[in-house]
Order: sequence, then C-alpha cells, then structure tokens
Amino acid sequence: MNRRVYILSAILVILSAVLIAARVIYGGFTVKPEYSQNMWRISVVMNLGGKGEKAKLSLTLPRDTERQKIYNEHFENKGMNFCVREKALSGNRIGIWSSALLDGRKSIRYTFSAQLKSVNYVIPTQLEIPKDPEASYPPEFDIWLKPSQFIQSDDPLVAKRLKEIIGTRRKADDVVRGIYDFVREGVKYRSEKGSKDAKETLEKLCADCGGKARLFVALSRAAGIPSRLVGGLILKKGVKSTTHVWAECYLGGIWIPFDVVNKHYGSIPGHYLELYRGDYFLLKHSGIETIQYFFIFARERIPPVDSAWSLYALPLRFQGLINVLLFIPIGALIVCFFRTVIGIPTFGTFTPILLTLAFREISPVVGLVSLSAIVFLGCVLRRILDSLRILMFSRLSIIVTMVVIFIIIMSVSAWRFGQQSVLYISMFPMVIMTWIIERFSISQIEDGTRAAFNALGGTAAVAGAAYFLMELHSLRAYLFAFPELLLVVLALLLLLGRYTGIRLTELWRFREFSKIKRKSAQ
Amino acid sequence: MISLSPFKEFGLLGINRRNASYILPRNPRRLYPLVDDKLKTKELLGANRLPVPELYFSIAHNFESNYLRELKFLKQFVIKPARGSGGKGILVIIDKNELGWVRIGRELLSASDLEYHISNILAGLYSLGGLPDKVIIEYRVRSHLSLRPVAFQGVPDIRIILYRGIPVMSMLRFPTKESGGKANLHEGAIGVGVDMLKGITLNGVYHDKLIERHPDTRIPISGIQIPFWDLILNEAAKIFDVFKLGYMGIDFVVDQALGPLILELNARPGLNIQLANGAGLLPRLNAVDALGSSVENMSFSRRVELAREITKCA
Repeated sequence: MNRRVYILSAILVILSAVLIAARVIYGGFTVKPEYSQNMWRISVVMNLGGKGEKAKLSLTLPRDTERQKIYNEHFENKGMNFCVREKALSGNRIGIWSSALLDGRKSIRYTFSAQLKSVNYVIPTQLEIPKDPEASYPPEFDIWLKPSQFIQSDDPLVAKRLKEIIGTRRKADDVVRGIYDFVREGVKYRSEKGSKDAKETLEKLCADCGGKARLFVALSRAAGIPSRLVGGLILKKGVKSTTHVWAECYLGGIWIPFDVVNKHYGSIPGHYLELYRGDYFLLKHSGIETIQYFFIFARERIPPVDSAWSLYALPLRFQGLINVLLFIPIGALIVCFFRTVIGIPTFGTFTPILLTLAFREISPVVGLVSLSAIVFLGCVLRRILDSLRILMFSRLSIIVTMVVIFIIIMSVSAWRFGQQSVLYISMFPMVIMTWIIERFSISQIEDGTRAAFNALGGTAAVAGAAYFLMELHSLRAYLFAFPELLLVVLALLLLLGRYTGIRLTELWRFREFSKIKRKSAQ
Repeated sequence: MISLSPFKEFGLLGINRRNASYILPRNPRRLYPLVDDKLKTKELLGANRLPVPELYFSIAHNFESNYLRELKFLKQFVIKPARGSGGKGILVIIDKNELGWVRIGRELLSASDLEYHISNILAGLYSLGGLPDKVIIEYRVRSHLSLRPVAFQGVPDIRIILYRGIPVMSMLRFPTKESGGKANLHEGAIGVGVDMLKGITLNGVYHDKLIERHPDTRIPISGIQIPFWDLILNEAAKIFDVFKLGYMGIDFVVDQALGPLILELNARPGLNIQLANGAGLLPRLNAVDALGSSVENMSFSRRVELAREITKCA
C-alpha cells in the first residue's frame, strides 16, 4: 500500500518538474542573448492609508519597446478595483486602482520581469533640421514640438540661449551636441524636492534630472527637433524609491535617448527601465491620506512563462480570482498537516480555509474580533432558543438570521453615526463567519461545548497559520507562474494520507504513560 | 513511517495508524450502516441469538402518535436515538406515578416532555451529521450487583476491542457525576483496564489521568471481578461471525437479571483504552496478524483461546 503511494507521489513530483521545465524552456519568449545580461524582477510596493472616502491611484506601467520586454506581470490588488488603460497619444500604459471607500492601510504590489538591453544610436551626420518643423512631421508629432506647461520652448529666454549655443548651425548632429553639452556642463546637478521647469532651470542654472531633461527638451523643441521626456528607473539590486528622467529626440525617423545627468549621448544602458513618455507623473492619486512607495529590484532567474497557456494570459480581473483558487489547495495542505501530524481539531477541512480568505479581506485582528463577537452572540441565542424548545433545523436557521440582522443593525447605526470607516467589512467574510456559527452549534450538540471551543480555537489557529503562509509574496508569485506546483501539493497530500505516526497532541493525551514507564522501571 | 513517539516501547497505537492500518483496510464501508444504526445492530444480533436488551418498539415518524398510548403501559424503559453517538439523547425512565414518568435522578417528566424529546430525536438532534433518526424504546438495564457499589450512577459497561474476531483488549467504564450517568470517557466517565485472562480490573483513567479510586464514590477500582467474564469473551468472539468488521469495539452491560447484554458496536473505537490498561494495542494486534489469515475462519471458541494466549504473552 505504502509503496504504491510513494511511487504515485514520486510520479506526481516528477510530472510537475517536467511540466515546469517544459514551461521554462518553451513557455514564453525565449531569452535572446543580448538580453541575457539584463534580466530583472521588479516589484513596485505602494502602501496606502485611506481616509474613508473614494480613492483612486494611478501608476504608469512599463511597456514593451524595441529595447525592453515586460513579462510575468503579477498584480496584488488587495480587493481594490483595478484596470489598465492605454493612452492614445503617448502610448503610456496606466494602471488604475480604485476603491469606493478606502479605509485603513492597504499594501498594493505590482511585480513584473523585464528583459532590457543597452543600445547605441548613431545620428546621421548629414541630417539637417527642417526649416518648418510642424509641416514636415505628421500631425501626431505636434505634442512633441509645441511648448507645454513645464517645457516652455517658446520662452524668449530659451530662444536667446539657443541662439548662443547653436548660432547658425542647422546640422542635427551639431545642434543636439551643442544643446547636450550646454545642459550637461552649464547646468549644475543638485538633487532637490520637486523638479524645476525648463525656464526656472535656465534662470537658476541648477537642477536635478527632471529640470535638466526639461531644459534639454525645451531647447531641442525650440530648435525644431521633436523631443520628449522619458521617465523610468535605474535598476540596481536592492530597494529604493527614486525614479529617473531623461530625454529623447526624434532624429532620422527614430527616437534617440539622451541622458545629460549620467552622460549617455545617443545611447541607453542596459539597466534603464522606461516607465512613461512625456512630461507625466509616475503616480497620481486622490482620496488617499498617506502614500508611501518603493521599488524592489532583483535579478530574474526564471525565463518568461507568460505564454498563451499560462495564467498570465487571462484577463486581469480573473487573475485575482485565480490567486484565491490557487490558495485553496495550499490551505487544504496546511489543514491536513495540522490535523494529521500535529492533531489540532478543526471544523472540517474547508472552514479554516474559508476563514483564511476572510482574514485576507479584513485583517486577522478584525477577523478574530468579529469571529468571537459572532460566536458569543450565537451562543447566547442558542441558550434562549433551547429554553423555547425549538427544533434543530429551525434553530440553526434562526441563529443565522439573527446574526444577519445583527450585522445589518450594526452597519446602519455605524453609518448613521459617521463611523462608516470602522464598519467597511465586505459581506463575504460575514457569510463565512455566520457559517462558522452553524458548525460551532452542531459541534456543540454533537461533541459538547468543550470540544466545540477546542475546534473553534483550532480552526482560528490553523487559519492564522495559513494566512501567514499565504502572505508570503514569493510563494504566491511562484504558484501563479507555475500552477504545476499543485501536483507537488497532491503528492504531499498523498504522503500525509499514509502518515501513520503518532500525532503530537497524542503525546500529551497519553502523557500518563510515562508514569507507568517509571513504575515498571522500578 | 517515521515514529516520533517516546512511548514506542509500549506499542502505543495513534489515531493515524488506527485509521490507516486497521480501520480503512479491515472495516468495509458498506458494513458501517449496520453498526451506526443501533436498531439494525439490535435486529441482526437478536436474529443470531446474541443477547441484547429487549426492544419494546421503535418510532420512525412523528405521526406515529400511538406510541404515547403504548408508553403508558411501561414503567421502566430507555428512550434512545438509533444513530446517536456518545450516549447523547438517552433518556432513562425508572418509574411512573400519577404525575408522570420519573427519570434517573428523580426528575419528573410529563407526556409532552417525552413527546418533545422523541421529536427532537426524530429531527436528528442527536444523530451524526444531523440526519433524521429513529427512536428506540427498550428494556432498562440494571447493573449487576457486583459492579453497582463502585458506580456512582448509571450502568457501567464493558468495552471489548475485537481484532479479526479475537478479543484483544478490554476496559470497564464507570459513569461519574460529571459524565451524567453516561459511560463515555470524553464526557468524564472513568475507564478501567481489565486483565483479559481473568476479567479482573487493573488501572483506571479519568480525563487522561491515572487514578486508583472512583472520583465520586472513592471506592478502589482495581481488583473487581467482572461477572460472566468467560461468557462475555465468547459472545464477543461470536459477533465477528455476524459483523465482519476486522477492528471493532463492542459494548456489553451486565444486567442483574439477564446477565451480559450487547449494547452497541463501534466501528471506530477510541484509543484511551490503552491508557486504562497501561499497555499499547500494537503488540497484541501484531500478535494476531502473526497468526496468519486463517484466524478469521476459526470457530469462536478457538479464537477466545487464542485471545488468552496472546494476552498472556503480551
């Protein structure tokens, strides 16, 4: 019997390994050699503090370009509504999180992998700047030629400075070189809070990367070259919260990058990640009291697995559901372990899992408090109903109905007295909690009050353990990338199913055996 | 698999091993309904001339209102659910007067009290999983005089573990004040190990703790001779010829007039019996397995002989 189980488990583990290997090898884009040096796994973590009102947050998401490939994108939206919009003109991808009523703290996490490469561009030496730029480029280039709020390319000061830099030169190469040298040498670099606009940078001759890039773009536009800002991240292993801004000019039919701060003329290094184009903001938000964000950069070791047969191919709103589904077997594994190896009693297999899901919606602390409150209420009601001699099915239904009434009264009165933020608890956990009362009542009838409380405590403890395991980010990310890991879970469950050793709690139950042992030794 | 138990030398059987190595392979699921439903158990045992408390009548539906009329003629009886567990829902009536029935503990019950109790049983209040249930109304057992002094209240019963037809371990269970007249260990009854050769009691266990005296009556619990011990072992071994469950628990009571009667069978008997006996089950179960597969086809008297040999060695 055991042998067959071992063999079956081994087959499942091997099968899972084979499927994962196949997915790694054939799963997504194959890694091109020029990218192999620059594969990154990047997490954007945003900690929000709500103020109990409608909240919205948007973040520019990276997109595929000629030199960067984004894959294995994984969103953890913590119950907020989420959608992705593409801007028509700039081509920026904006991720928008919103909530009808954001309260308390939420930690949103967006994780993705990026393959990047460094590129060196050559500006054609004979390229001349057209006399009438607006007529010689298609109309969609207008936004990259005309002045904007912070890039005042029509300012007389800018025109005067441009005249001093380039004189009468018309060759694109010379003009860009002149502007580049001026902004690099002539403007001092100083990191500051809130970047200056182009005009102020020119007046003070001192700015950070944003001010310098704006001045570079303003001068280029004034010279008749379509140019724009590019925002992104300079990747370096570790955690940081700073972003970087550089510039791009449209020369000879392509966009060529220039970074005056880090001295990249017509080239871009392999650790630059582009997030947005144009004079845009990385993050925009409303209705949020506090926001704190940071980036985590790590080397990526898994090649892309986001093929058409992966979970990444699903629409975003289903991905959230899949995350919940994937957790159920993991939760079942934990429940199984706690029951067969440790010997903690629970209300069946699914109640602890459901409770974990409830903990995820509302925090474990709020979850435990409402669980105890509701179980207490259920017990009191049961006492009353016992004295009325109500039959079992009606009694359980009455308890469930009363709990729902109780929740409604609580919600309405909390709303009436302006405590809406305290009681924003979604219905889903409440349904789970009311269901636990039924299990509790049945257990109380069948096994007694003490056993029912033991099982309730066990359920809460196992749910707590499962919650903390579920909060492990890497576990979730790997499970999402490789759902084949569920076969390993199956193998472990099979092995647990043949575990015939003693349960840890049985050692306590049979502790008096040690007395007998001593007696017989004497 | 891996054993972490510091009690390994005792051959302590844990729940996992009991389920995986004994209950799952030895107890076919299709036989469970026969032991889970006490009415079916009783009928089958009775049909095979094994002694059971006499069934007065059973009630399957609420509308069988004639039962109350019949109850009027009874003075002493027990009402219990057919699929109850852990002694729940059992009502013992010891007398009847002009006001109504007297239950154990002298509480007076009216006809409507009984009716309510019966409809609760029918609705499944005491049955496993809350399924609709049947009501058994049967002969009230009174404990044999030799066990009565020790018992606080209720009727002590004798649990025998039958493995492949061979009685391997036994325990005498006394109700206590805490257990409310029930002989269930996790409700506070005490379990006393029994010497399989002579039927004389050994250690006691009360709430996982070893004891030497009954907690209520303060009477020493060791050295009590169980009456009709040989008869009990023989009847237990015979049960295997009717119920082919390889691993089961059999509960006997010894009535003062009728002798040993079989109360119920259990397809998942508990493990505290080991603590009461100060010995693990594994050595005895292994000894039975060492006898080979022919054990199950032997006559009951041969199996009882084997039981004595095994427990002598173990």
